[in-house]
Amino acid sequence: MFLTEKKDIKEIDEALKKYKKIGVIGCASCASVCLTGGSKEVRDMEKHLEASGKEVTFTISIDEPCDKRVLKEDIRFVEDEMEDTEAVVVLSCGTGVQTIGEFIGKKAVAGTDSKYIAQTEHIGEYNALCGGCDECRLNFTGGVCTITLCPKGLLNGPCEGHIGINCEVYEDKECVFMKSYELMTKYSEEENFNKIFNPRDYGLSLKRTKI
Amino acid sequence: MQIIPQIETPVGENYITFEENLIKLLGTIEKTGLNNQNAGRDFPDIIIEQNFGVNGLLLCKDLKDRLGNINTAYAFTMRDKNRISILSDLITLKQIGVKDIVVSEGVHPLKTVFNSAKPVYDVDILGIGLILKRGFMNYPGGIADKDEPDFFNLGVVVSASAPVDGLKAKKLINAGADRFIINYTGKNPDEDIIKYIKSEKKEIFLYVKESYIEDSLKDFIRANERLNLDGIIIKITDEKANVFTRQ
Repeated sequence: MFLTEKKDIKEIDEALKKYKKIGVIGCASCASVCLTGGSKEVRDMEKHLEASGKEVTFTISIDEPCDKRVLKEDIRFVEDEMEDTEAVVVLSCGTGVQTIGEFIGKKAVAGTDSKYIAQTEHIGEYNALCGGCDECRLNFTGGVCTITLCPKGLLNGPCEGHIGINCEVYEDKECVFMKSYELMTKYSEEENFNKIFNPRDYGLSLKRTKI
Repeated sequence: MQIIPQIETPVGENYITFEENLIKLLGTIEKTGLNNQNAGRDFPDIIIEQNFGVNGLLLCKDLKDRLGNINTAYAFTMRDKNRISILSDLITLKQIGVKDIVVSEGVHPLKTVFNSAKPVYDVDILGIGLILKRGFMNYPGGIADKDEPDFFNLGVVVSASAPVDGLKAKKLINAGADRFIINYTGKNPDEDIIKYIKSEKKEIFLYVKESYIEDSLKDFIRANERLNLDGIIIKITDEKANVFTRQ
């Protein structure tokens, strides 16, 4: 899941100040799970906009607004209302906001702050485990991502700052390289103890963007 | 055993005055008799750590060429430099004839006053070994010439407080590290890791911030004699008033 958090409502109001007729689009996937873009949050946004003197032209929750195929199907339900709409508030991650903005050709205002790919512990408690770094090294690290879990993002750790098993930055937490070592031992992957990772190729990340 | 001061480049002070004070400091250290005259004394007299202000490369060159042929080592962190900046430094170091470098990952910005800064960590210290000794990123006119694969003496700062540090040391040896500098954090380093590094015929030093030296420097050195170190590197913050001048 991609974690989002609710934006400061003042920022949304400021972004919408030029517009009168507003649509509200929620995300029934990730944003729904983290309670930033589900049907309740869409209704709350509708109430807020109406209380602020705006005319809400439509509300809709789209299963996956980041998927153009799904978006194309679902947006048909509000096709007529969309014509009369000046701007939309999108309660999804930044990918959803941009996908919708491009698709409808109208102002799309972000209603959330995009955070990170998250593991859900409980609703409201999330962990970042994967940074989406192009070349997954989990098969060589005992199955933990040191790039994401080490505050320094090291490939070949630990750093000189850890004390005993604890992290330099989060002193009460275990250094991820200790965990990696433990898991490699547990799975009898001692051959990976000596693996040296070359510096990352950051050129790869440019290949996934489209302007 | 060799005692080596390490100091950061000055922020705004006249660098010539700074250098003159460093020369006085080296004279003071020599007078203390803490340096074992019979030892090899292979490590440079002082480590210049690049930080704010005056360029550390300039200081290394000036101390070597203009001021009494003082041999320096250049220290920098992976936190502050990407691979372009690192290669730039290495090429310049080679041109000015500074062979000794000391690299560490560097304290995370969250543990400094710059806690909102984005750290670099583009390359880690193992990556430096690959660049210097294994021809990684060997751009034309780069730094790891076929003719001089061992131009640089690579010193790496590591921890020795958990078994996994021994694994890292092994990888660093494979990547070509020449010297190991154990970061002293107030606890005694793991002697097995030190023995392992020594068994690989690598020089080994202890890196200690002067604030950790509670008693006299002599007492601190005596307390660590059993580790059979090649030297102790002491990080000082003031070239005029420090653990050496208090002796």
